[in-house]
Amino acid sequence: MIALDFTLNDRPCRVEAPAHWTVLDLLRDGLALNGTKYGCGEGVCGTCTVLLDGEPVRSCLVLASRLRGRTVITVEGLDRDGEPGPLQAAFARAGAVQCGFCTPGMLLSARALLAANPAPTEHDVREALAGNLCRCTGYTKIIEAVLAAAGGG
Amino acid sequence: MRLRPFALAEPESVPEAVEVLSRLEGDTRIIAGGTALVPTMRLGLVAPDRLVSLHRILGLSEIRVSKGVLEVGAMATLAAVARHSALRAGWPLLAQAAGRVATPAIRSSATLGGNLCYAEAASDPAPALLCLDTQVRVADSVGERVVPIAEFFTGFYETAVAPGEVLTGVRVPAVPPGARGGYVKFCPRSAEDKPLIGVAALLVLDAARRVGDIRIALAGAAPTPIRARAAEATARGQGLSDRVIREAADAAAAEAEPLSDLMGSADYRRQMIRVWVRRLLTALRETRPIA
Repeated sequence: MIALDFTLNDRPCRVEAPAHWTVLDLLRDGLALNGTKYGCGEGVCGTCTVLLDGEPVRSCLVLASRLRGRTVITVEGLDRDGEPGPLQAAFARAGAVQCGFCTPGMLLSARALLAANPAPTEHDVREALAGNLCRCTGYTKIIEAVLAAAGGG
Repeated sequence: MRLRPFALAEPESVPEAVEVLSRLEGDTRIIAGGTALVPTMRLGLVAPDRLVSLHRILGLSEIRVSKGVLEVGAMATLAAVARHSALRAGWPLLAQAAGRVATPAIRSSATLGGNLCYAEAASDPAPALLCLDTQVRVADSVGERVVPIAEFFTGFYETAVAPGEVLTGVRVPAVPPGARGGYVKFCPRSAEDKPLIGVAALLVLDAARRVGDIRIALAGAAPTPIRARAAEATARGQGLSDRVIREAADAAAAEAEPLSDLMGSADYRRQMIRVWVRRLLTALRETRPIA
């Protein structure tokens, strides 16, 4: 077991985990944060995306030991006082959720984009979400939602 | 699905990493960003007993330019390589290539050292580094040795890094005065794929607009990333006319030894090498020199 001390969704987190666990294993099975999904396990589908020090990473590929001293944001950290945050509200308004399995990864990739680029073009949104697959083929609404959230809507 | 359990070592210096690796304990692998190794483990293609992670070694993710020479630590992420302003200004083809690997969430974890050690023939950064006469720094039990990038890729997914050694970084000299360069990548299906083929080039046009120094390198064109030396020889000393560009592209297609795989046949790759060498050289005619 390895001891980990890091910041999770703005709160300090101290936890022990087996050395072979990934960040995704730790979130879902160690901390019962099941918003982050296991999709392909190979870094391709994007639904396990979380923010590590503000940058999107595939939690299925990153070993949990990399978390020491760092800051993690998961989909559970996107709400505002229990209400959906601006991106989540924009997704709901635009109908950007069908089955919802890709949504956590979409939200965090979008959050990283808007933090770095508050006024993205549609092309910027497409580039930022290129690694997040939606098999309901709902990309149009998702892109609309991210642009709406950027515009304050 | 969990990874098969393994022991994890997290050395805090390069000598400590080399020392840890010298203790023979089953199948040991070095892990950098994990974007290649972890999927390979999940697919059961490798089942290491022990991983040695380089993430705690201070300074190994540094990117530094000093006296015109670029030093990139092995643990620098491809995202960091793609956005570093001095690197972008002095070695734009490397920044372009790093910025074209996979997707943002992969580039933020994947490292330049990991990319080199994985030795994917269809690597985006490798052709850029081949054009830039990169020196690869490798630490072993007696210190450090330097491997020219032209001797680094030794075979299909094989490199000059021996068991027990650690790739610590690359050293990239300044480009020649007046050089212009770029990297292009062709993906027939999806932009986040590895390239079917990738082409990097660096060239100098003299006052009469004849080609002086020229370097062309290819990804996905052979079992390893390669320099296209016949194509370079075809263009060297010539004006960069449409005809010379076509002849150089034909030479690159002829000297390539591409493999067939699920992304495309060897013949298709050869045709696309012809197309993309031509397009890159044509674009470089109009590209501003780097310095």
